[in-house]
Amino acid sequence: MSAASAATHASGDLRGERWRKLRRRLAPWAPLLVLIALCVVIGLISPNFLSVRNMVRIANSAAIPLILGLGVTFVIIMGSIDLSIEGVVAFAAVILSLLVLNGANANDFGILGALLVMGLGAMMGFVNGVIHVRLRIPSFMATLGMWFVGVGVANAILGGITVRVTDPLIRALALDRLGGVPFAVWLALIALGVAYVIQSHTRLGRYMYAIGGGEDLAAFSGIDVKRCRIAIFTIAGTFYGLGGIIAAAQQGAGFALIGQGRLFTTITAVVVGGTALMGGSGGVLQTLVGVLIVMVLSNGMVLMGISPYVQQIVQGIMIIIAVALSVDRARLKIVK
Amino acid sequence: MSKLIRRLDRRRFVQSTALITGAGALASTWPRRLLAQEGITAVNSIRSLSNPYHASWNQGGEAFSSWSGTEYATLVTEGNSEKGIADIKALIARTGGNMVLNVDPNESPDARPIVEACAEAGVYVTTQWNKPADLHPWDFDPYYVCHISFDGRPNGKAMAEALFKAMGGSGGIVALGGILSNVPAIERKAGLDEALAENPDVELLDFQVANWDPNQAYDITSAWVTRFGDDIKGIWAANDGMGISALEVLRAEGMAGQVPVTGIDGIQLAVEAVMAGEFAGTVAWDPFWQGGMGLSIPYHAKTGKFDPSAEPQEHREFYGTGIVITADNAEEFYKSNIEAAPELDWNDIWGRVSGQIQYQ
Repeated sequence: MSAASAATHASGDLRGERWRKLRRRLAPWAPLLVLIALCVVIGLISPNFLSVRNMVRIANSAAIPLILGLGVTFVIIMGSIDLSIEGVVAFAAVILSLLVLNGANANDFGILGALLVMGLGAMMGFVNGVIHVRLRIPSFMATLGMWFVGVGVANAILGGITVRVTDPLIRALALDRLGGVPFAVWLALIALGVAYVIQSHTRLGRYMYAIGGGEDLAAFSGIDVKRCRIAIFTIAGTFYGLGGIIAAAQQGAGFALIGQGRLFTTITAVVVGGTALMGGSGGVLQTLVGVLIVMVLSNGMVLMGISPYVQQIVQGIMIIIAVALSVDRARLKIVK
Repeated sequence: MSKLIRRLDRRRFVQSTALITGAGALASTWPRRLLAQEGITAVNSIRSLSNPYHASWNQGGEAFSSWSGTEYATLVTEGNSEKGIADIKALIARTGGNMVLNVDPNESPDARPIVEACAEAGVYVTTQWNKPADLHPWDFDPYYVCHISFDGRPNGKAMAEALFKAMGGSGGIVALGGILSNVPAIERKAGLDEALAENPDVELLDFQVANWDPNQAYDITSAWVTRFGDDIKGIWAANDGMGISALEVLRAEGMAGQVPVTGIDGIQLAVEAVMAGEFAGTVAWDPFWQGGMGLSIPYHAKTGKFDPSAEPQEHREFYGTGIVITADNAEEFYKSNIEAAPELDWNDIWGRVSGQIQYQ
């Protein structure tokens, strides 16, 4: 009697163990499976969705969120958060619109202007990092401040007007194509490649995971945590600067509100892709999948004719589900 | 910091405090009293300076102020009602009530406390766009001089008609709306619906809300191009910002200029797009006029040129006149309003009254 009950108990344990193993092995692939499922469902309802031209349009819409997402992915892996995205994008786009050929002044710095703007983005990221690390202010507050500074300076410079970007080189990013795909998309893919190399093939990349996994441990094993943090924020700022350039290219103009709404989309995409807000796990390829999920969903909902209000609800629910799936509840003792 | 404090003994602290207070009191009292006795301050309270619309509003205020020789001040709410109201009260206190106010309340309910504070301090005030329907200028005679708004319905309709005309009178259109709880968004959409009802050959393929946001408008329009492709013969947008974004999507698809777009607001880029033949039209509210005339009307009341309580209700709650811009007049408008600062007659205070506001 007792032997029999022990046996069933053991087999139950075994089944549970197997299930847990399967879940653990499948979890990283969940976002990709969701993406494929979404494509199949939307494609069945609206065949236009799977056309090559629509795929190109989705890729085009995804270019900016992907570039911004790459930067913030690094910061999140490190266990911090970066809310300065909209500020840096607005500042970068406004400065760019004033440096290249435009409708407001006689500047014509072309590609040099774009590089300068990426440098400015890097500088803002650097300042984020220094404020966060040296003044020991939580990244949440430091970058929140930088968000307002960026938008505020953009406002102060333009005083509310919109500057048309006429530089053919910058406009080409959005308007010209290589192999049927806009240059902005190629640029986003190059950025993805660079980010992947930083993440997987550099010391900084490994340190970033170490810090996110456990900062004390990382510091004890000899990592200069402060320097790493500042470096990561600087890299993130560079990506936002690039995002601002492409935003100005797409809109054909620079204005202070050009960053509006981008923080939410970006963080949603990163989290949906499977990078945990707790830090220490995730990566840029996950962010690519996350960005595609968000973009496919919003494109698909318009294609299927779903009401805009329902669209917002779906986005909100998606975030909660994604975070719920990504958290390993067994390891969480306290939820704040 | 703590070292510094420790080094300060009590006597030195008292001395320096007295010195600073004395100097501050001396510096602050006399110019302010001069101001209170002689100059009227003209005050614009607006949402922010980050959009072309309010920037132009502010320029109108500056132009009026230099014309009338008044001091000029701009208050921005940044979308925060409490800040907006508190700033106005603070300025009333600082000027001793010797000011005129032109306010675009952040939200409708804000208008009441603002007007009450003004009436109490004897400040002549104009409100624009937002106020509760049951708050009337004649309830606060003579200080609440007037309320100005613009009827989105005829202008939304005028744009739809300009769009249909550019399309040749038939085909499918898509429409981008503003935040649907906003009164202007509702009115403009109602105007579009009216025009659609009168033109059965035009079909509304889809209506989406882009929340006044150019970035959202960009992605929605991209998806529309997939969904409807060449069936889209025109795009109606509830404001210029969203319309310009839609135009940029068309440009990336090689469709700019072939599919007409309309906006509303009359920002520079939109007027330029009308001149380039890419926009079929836009409506200019003339925020320059709003920013200046909203001050000129209470200024004329304060300086005794007219008595608000003797004016008809049609002058107390009125719709201003939007300027419909199409290919016919775009160039002329551009030259006189965008290239050069508009020349307005600030004495012509009732020149743009186009009917008393109707509340349902």
